[in-house]
Amino acid sequence: MSAAVSAARASLGYGGEPVLTGLDFAAGTGTTVCVLGPNGGGKTTLFRALVGELRPLTGTVAVAGRPAYVAQTDRTRLDFPVTALDVALMGSLAGGRWWRPARGCDRQAAGRALERVGLADAAGVAFGELSGGQRQRVLIARALVQKAGVLLLDEPLGGVDPDSAQRISTLFAELRSEGRTLLVSTHDVESAHAFDLVLCLNRRQIAFAQPGEALTRSVIEETYGSELVVLSGGSDEPVRAIAVQHHEH
Amino acid sequence: MELAALPPLPDPLVLLDTELVRTALLELGLLAVAGGLLGAWIVLRGLAFFAHAVGAATFPGLVAAEATGASPRLASLALAVACAGAVERGGRAGRAPGDVATGLLLVAALATGVVLASDVFESAAGAERLLFGTLIGLGGADLATSAAAAVLAIGATIMLGRSWTAVGFDPEAAPTLGIPVARADLLLLALIAVAAVAALPAVGALLVTSLYVVPAAVARLLTRSVRSLLLSSAAIAAVQGLGGLYVSLWLDVPPGPAIAVLGATAYALCAVGSALRPRPVAAPAGAIL
Repeated sequence: MSAAVSAARASLGYGGEPVLTGLDFAAGTGTTVCVLGPNGGGKTTLFRALVGELRPLTGTVAVAGRPAYVAQTDRTRLDFPVTALDVALMGSLAGGRWWRPARGCDRQAAGRALERVGLADAAGVAFGELSGGQRQRVLIARALVQKAGVLLLDEPLGGVDPDSAQRISTLFAELRSEGRTLLVSTHDVESAHAFDLVLCLNRRQIAFAQPGEALTRSVIEETYGSELVVLSGGSDEPVRAIAVQHHEH
Repeated sequence: MELAALPPLPDPLVLLDTELVRTALLELGLLAVAGGLLGAWIVLRGLAFFAHAVGAATFPGLVAAEATGASPRLASLALAVACAGAVERGGRAGRAPGDVATGLLLVAALATGVVLASDVFESAAGAERLLFGTLIGLGGADLATSAAAAVLAIGATIMLGRSWTAVGFDPEAAPTLGIPVARADLLLLALIAVAAVAALPAVGALLVTSLYVVPAAVARLLTRSVRSLLLSSAAIAAVQGLGGLYVSLWLDVPPGPAIAVLGATAYALCAVGSALRPRPVAAPAGAIL
């Protein structure tokens, strides 16, 4: 199994100052990876490096092909005059078409992708008027149009209504079965159990393993420090816990 | 002090009999296309201040060209493109040039231009022409430059509009869409610089924004898609240019200020109107599931 996403002895940072060190992992094609960590733990920094925006200070990070990036939607311009279809259509810019207008087949692909995420009816709705969960799904539709093999999703379930969260989780399972690789960052320790692999970050790589192996009390405590409420589990067995997050927003 | 009585309104059809008016009309029509389309991108990408500074930056170049007999078009083009390059480089290096740097550039350019002008021109009229535009002496070369700017604006909007939209909407994901963001943005800045130079003879260095920002800012209040923003911005620029030209001929003022005052009034009226308009209640989360 070839690695779709990997890091080797990598440290990442801004202006020479490392903020995330000891990265060493490899996720094969068609796996789902949950990236766990507190705010400021380095989740978004890792994604920036994986999309090529940030060069590692040391070591290497690698992605097979060009990944699709689904950022937290409050970082997009919600007042931008674009519809859900317009945003999905942006995926067709990939593949060297950045200096050419959209074709009919691009529009059809965007329409199909919106249908796939359950938003065919909302194609003409302004992106900023959609709910948080719907916006996430539109950005996932954009990633589908992009035909990306690797999807990086930065807290796609944060602040999302339960129905959208359910749809997004189902979509993850479908994408995985198509052989796509997913890296999904989250605060939610509970949801990590549903992934193939878990990567725990808190300014350094704490653990990278299957959920049963990685989600031990000691790892979770090291990942979240004082932000953790442990519900059950001994120090070496799978843990049930809630991370208490202080959102800046 | 008593305001002079306003002159009587001239008959538009009589005005059209003169070559000067017909040339000015054509010039403003071409600039409306360039300014309306590029203005939409300027407003969407938050480049209004840049557009203003790029116009002002050409002022010392225009004065120097006047003194030395060099081509004012080439001199201003060199300064405008240099300004675009500096802004793009600053942005790419991770230190956005920011309002302070742009503001300083603006002040320095105006001050340098005024100091140079006091040596070059016998009267203030020359400097006023460069700053605020004129209808007299607009000729074939001006029309050709504006036509080129209009054609470039249309072509670039068709070819690059999607990329410019995608970068403005989601700058972090834009590189993963395969958009060479730095190159796409430099093309936009350079195009604004070229188009600003085309607008200099008619509206002047200080009032380039009257055609390049104001119509698009008005259109932004009234439209909800990029396409309608582009089209209505060009239409508003044309109406504003036409109205400004008429006022300019009527009151014998330079066209730049006439166009700018009309545009600012339109913007104020639309802004107040859209603030007073009752907004639709925002849909609750998950409403369209």
